[in-house]
Amino acid sequence: MEAQLHDSLVTLFESKLSTQMLLNLETCSRCGICTPACHAYASMPLAKYAPAYRAEVVRRIYKRYFTKQGRFMPVLGEAKDITDAALVELKEAAYSCTGCRRCMVYCPFGIDTQQIMSIAKLLLIGAQAEPETLSMLADMSVSKGENIDALKEGFLSGIKRLEDQVVEKWRSQGEHPIPTDVVGADVLYVALAGAHSIIPAAAVFNAAGEKWSLSFFEAVNFGAFVGDPTKTRLILDRIVNEAKRLKVKEVCICECGTAVRVAKQLKDAPFAVVGLTEMHARYLRQGRIKLRKLPGSYTYHDPCQIARNGGVYDEPRYILRHLVEDFREMSPDPKYNWCCGGGGGLVAMGEETLEFRMQSAKVKAEQMRGSKAEVVVTACENCHTQLSDLNRHYALGQRVVFLSSLVADALIP
Amino acid sequence: MSTIAYAKELDLRNLPCPMPVVKISKGIKEVAVGEVVKAITTDPGALTDFPAWAKTSGHQILETETTGTEVNFYIKRLK
Amino acid sequence: MATLYYLILAPMVYLAVAVSVLGTLWRIARLLRAPAAPPPPPIYPSRKPSWLFALGDALLLPSVFKHNAPLWAALGLFHLGLAALFLGHLELVADFKALQLIPHSIFLGKGLIGLTVLVCLMYFLCRRMVSPTKELSVPEDYLLLVLLLFTVLFGAQMDWARTWFGYSSMGVDEYRGYLSSLIRLKPSVEGVTSAGHSFMLVAHVFFANLLIMAFPFTKLMHAIFTFAMNKFRRG
Repeated sequence: MEAQLHDSLVTLFESKLSTQMLLNLETCSRCGICTPACHAYASMPLAKYAPAYRAEVVRRIYKRYFTKQGRFMPVLGEAKDITDAALVELKEAAYSCTGCRRCMVYCPFGIDTQQIMSIAKLLLIGAQAEPETLSMLADMSVSKGENIDALKEGFLSGIKRLEDQVVEKWRSQGEHPIPTDVVGADVLYVALAGAHSIIPAAAVFNAAGEKWSLSFFEAVNFGAFVGDPTKTRLILDRIVNEAKRLKVKEVCICECGTAVRVAKQLKDAPFAVVGLTEMHARYLRQGRIKLRKLPGSYTYHDPCQIARNGGVYDEPRYILRHLVEDFREMSPDPKYNWCCGGGGGLVAMGEETLEFRMQSAKVKAEQMRGSKAEVVVTACENCHTQLSDLNRHYALGQRVVFLSSLVADALIP
Repeated sequence: MSTIAYAKELDLRNLPCPMPVVKISKGIKEVAVGEVVKAITTDPGALTDFPAWAKTSGHQILETETTGTEVNFYIKRLK
Repeated sequence: MATLYYLILAPMVYLAVAVSVLGTLWRIARLLRAPAAPPPPPIYPSRKPSWLFALGDALLLPSVFKHNAPLWAALGLFHLGLAALFLGHLELVADFKALQLIPHSIFLGKGLIGLTVLVCLMYFLCRRMVSPTKELSVPEDYLLLVLLLFTVLFGAQMDWARTWFGYSSMGVDEYRGYLSSLIRLKPSVEGVTSAGHSFMLVAHVFFANLLIMAFPFTKLMHAIFTFAMNKFRRG
């Protein structure tokens, strides 16, 4: 490794050393309680998948450059230099961690492995060794924000075609069931690129009589996946600026765990941030929408970023109580629900991570099968894709659906 | 119908986020520089994603063609 | 030999305490000086008041109890044992009324608590020799356990060592004289260096000095950091 690159990586590492990060790096006693918490370890019991081991890959570099022990007695903590080999280790650690933070529930100190992995991801960016796909996606998102005026027209023509589908399925939804650019709307809905993330949501907003507007931007933050704080902020700013321009009271994020988490971390915004599931639960509580019961047996997969890391446990269950007669919990305590195995950008990398995703989420597949439900419901795009892949790979014979789609399908006009 | 000749066709209909962009960025590398890929999409987001992706990755969208619920992109590999 | 004993029992103790206190303060100051970054979300469901539950997490280790009950029992005994030994040492410094709520004679050096702690330490050590904890461990983890083991071994068996000499030499009064002289900054080691089992005390103090010095530069700092960490998790 060239000296200049080495030095720049050390500086990059230092830029991540906030008070909380230092605590995360300095408190671990390597007791190993976290080991069985990771779905990857539980599915493939290799030491490299133990959360404390992953964290130690970063911590060894930290010790070498930023602690007295590492400088004067590196052997004690096996402190390590930043080398090309270290980068390979960092990549494996960071991109086999989905950032689900289940290990954080086990740890007696509450060490945040995902935070520590954010250092690994930043170093990989600095060395231009990050997964190309994630960088490409983040760059695309940033570029979209910079060129939105030129791109608007194409987007609006796409939305026009979707409107016909909404009207066809849910009559009495008006002539323009997918409003955009509505100044003074109460809610700005931020969806994903796919029609499945827009059509059902539109149907429910309209049924609830919501004054809403569809965002020009997609909710998912690829900057967060690749671990680039600058791009994360730029991608989020596109939505913040649009919300400010339209003077909305609330920004509603679609069923995308990362997007919900990143947006909810906004401080001092002149609008509130809610997830689509919370919005639908609110409409139900206020009697603004009515649902018919759907046949079949159902279970719910709590997306980590929405439940364990976002606190939304009750809302999906409240909705499901109105939707189905036969609901079965997937995990006795939802806080311990297994991660789907697709977070942290793994699903976004597509087929290049498929084999690992299927192997590392074997425990998730067993949990799905164990629920004995015909339908697995979830509220996150990543989880949906991963659970669908697991369903196919392990021949579970279940149906994986979005909660919002169920709500839209069950609407009573 | 477009008359642009293409070397590869990619069916990107009804894929989850962000697969259309992921697959086109991989697919374009499977044709030679100067050749064209035809991508069939159904996502409204593709109409902003694809031009933004083409701009950042240095490829050229020759034509965007709408047929019913589908949008076809003809993208030339430039590098 | 007398000089060596003196160096370990007096100057080295002061050095160890100084290194430990200054090092700990430096570590804490470094944390406080570090830039604040937007905190990641806590773990849900959250419970209020979060500080109280965080304190409970730090002191009672409920997650360890849930996921590894034998380890929890060993950690509990070990840490309670350390706390009892700390109080026992305070009793050697002076008579504190608060410590006599349950009337008792000086228990330090009798070996019971020390033996319990020793068994726990052996368990921790063996645990680290087996996968998957083996792969997580670094030399520091073993070294600290060995240091603790030696410190406790020589300290706890002082009373047993006295039996070699029919309880005729160095006992509680001498330990008291030595420790309180250290506190008064007028170290007097004569009473504890001439007995047949003085080497036990010297070895105990030597390993304790190393441990005290290691405190700020090793993972032992978890004893302090655990409160802040658990508060972050609780939000």
